[in-house]
Amino acid sequence: MTYLLHQNILEQAEKAPDHIAFRCGKEEYAYADLAVKMQQLAAVLQDSGVRRGDRVGIFLHRCLETSLAIYGILQAGAVYVPIDPTLPEERIRYLIQDCGIQCLVSHPSQRRRLAVFGADEGMLRTIIGLEAEWAVPTISWEAVWSAPLAQAPRQLEKDLAYIIYTSGSTGNPKGVMHTHYSGLTYARLTADLYDIRSTDRIGNHAPIFFDISTLGYLTTPLVGATTVISSDAHVMLPTSLAKLIEQERLTIWYSVPLALIQMVQTQLLPSLDWSALRWILYGGEPFALGHLRQLMAELPHVGISNVYGPTETNQCTFYNLPAPPVDDTPVPIGYLWGNTEMLILDEDDQPVSDGEPGELLIRSGTMMKGYWNNPERTKQSFYEHTAVSGMVHTFYRTGDLVLLDENGLLQLLGRKDRQIKARGYRVELDEVEIAILSHPQVREAAVFPKAAADGQSKTIAAAISWKEELPIPELIGFLKQKLPPYAVPEDWTKYPELPRTPTGKIDRKLLQKVALQK
Amino acid sequence: MDVKDTLIQFIQHDLIDDDQPINSDEDLLTTGLIDSVRVMRLVNFVGEAFAIEIPPEDMTIDHFISVDAISDYVASRKS
Repeated sequence: MTYLLHQNILEQAEKAPDHIAFRCGKEEYAYADLAVKMQQLAAVLQDSGVRRGDRVGIFLHRCLETSLAIYGILQAGAVYVPIDPTLPEERIRYLIQDCGIQCLVSHPSQRRRLAVFGADEGMLRTIIGLEAEWAVPTISWEAVWSAPLAQAPRQLEKDLAYIIYTSGSTGNPKGVMHTHYSGLTYARLTADLYDIRSTDRIGNHAPIFFDISTLGYLTTPLVGATTVISSDAHVMLPTSLAKLIEQERLTIWYSVPLALIQMVQTQLLPSLDWSALRWILYGGEPFALGHLRQLMAELPHVGISNVYGPTETNQCTFYNLPAPPVDDTPVPIGYLWGNTEMLILDEDDQPVSDGEPGELLIRSGTMMKGYWNNPERTKQSFYEHTAVSGMVHTFYRTGDLVLLDENGLLQLLGRKDRQIKARGYRVELDEVEIAILSHPQVREAAVFPKAAADGQSKTIAAAISWKEELPIPELIGFLKQKLPPYAVPEDWTKYPELPRTPTGKIDRKLLQKVALQK
Repeated sequence: MDVKDTLIQFIQHDLIDDDQPINSDEDLLTTGLIDSVRVMRLVNFVGEAFAIEIPPEDMTIDHFISVDAISDYVASRKS
């Protein structure tokens, strides 16, 4: 039994040296290759002054080297911090400084983006993966391939393994800290739940700064499976993405619903051979029911799992759909998975009665250690619960409203902070959104508050894109049958496609800004 | 202007607004040079500028990976 993530690579390199660990495009690493290369990268990092617990940034697009960067950094005893190269410069600077990053792992293809980060970046000392002259000393990949193999320093399972920065609806992004223990617990639980084995080929769609990627990067080496990384080109061109699932004989796919919707919309699925596929996992946001029904109708042989969990807890519930949704009832987030406990609390932190809505709090082996460099936010997000035994247990406040229904299934109602008062009535914006999405002709929808003309009260605004265009009054008529009149949006903006954040979620902040400017 | 020059002009000035010149064999898609919104603008531009209709099954990496690839694709559709 290993207790450090990188030991999984070394173990698989002994067991199945030639088995492919990671693949992207036409390039791939067998387990034995990766074991050697990650030890070389670790040696170069250690030589650059990286020590146990230091944070090392990964500045890469979707490519094969992401896997090497992750495991080389872990082998050096350090903590990997994915940085989205498409973020605004200021945001990247903030992240480098907040996290105290002294070293970046990158690639020559990022030279245009990296050009703005010079010697005045404070902490930044070395960039690995670039060639030639730079404001900061660089070490090329060629030089890495001639390095000796590094021994990992002595480490504990409670050492940090990675920090993922979440955008956060207000203020600066927060660095969510995960340990080797939480990463391995996640890997073990997913392997058990979806029966993942060495013969599996997992399609990774998410960039590494999105925690959905931990299935492809952390679970795969635990069981000796293969992860096929979708390149940025595949992600941008759904036709190529759909063909990748066929060509690579993928058995497990995990992404946000949007990627699946786009592939269905190419109308190529009936002509493609996805027979190897046995699981589709989706998470990040609800799946519009019309699309979900269509996907399931085209893939009767594939199990569909709705995955729920904030970055702070990684996955904590699952719901494997027994059949396509028949009516417009939202898909539940389902059941807690192994080694996980929950509380559902009301506004006074008292447990709610059965079937009543409340905030979901989670305690699990996949829970974060806290927010990097932010003890205050960490304290606010944790809740100390005294059990009947007198023991005090720490739970994470998800900020999500749920209820436990009569069948023992958890239903997600929306965000606690997405509750607003519209014309004096309390409205759950997410409920409104779900109601709109239940209309078969709606493709995407987002609902948000907007200041009313009097500047005091709030009204509800909506942004939508159509599957098939429908007059707005008709949609409003549909909504009036489902929602109280004060919860029906008054302000509508139509989009060909809703704008998305880099992690593929709907960009609500941008939509809100556009609605305000109208 | 031939097809390649037209494409380079569009990509460099309208799509990415970068002083560094684009090579006709440069990878446009896998390195973060252009994002998903810009890819759709590129596909639309190719359709309009060269008066061809591009069906979804043709919107693939092979056809759009570089200026050279797009130029070959346009030629194959024109012939």
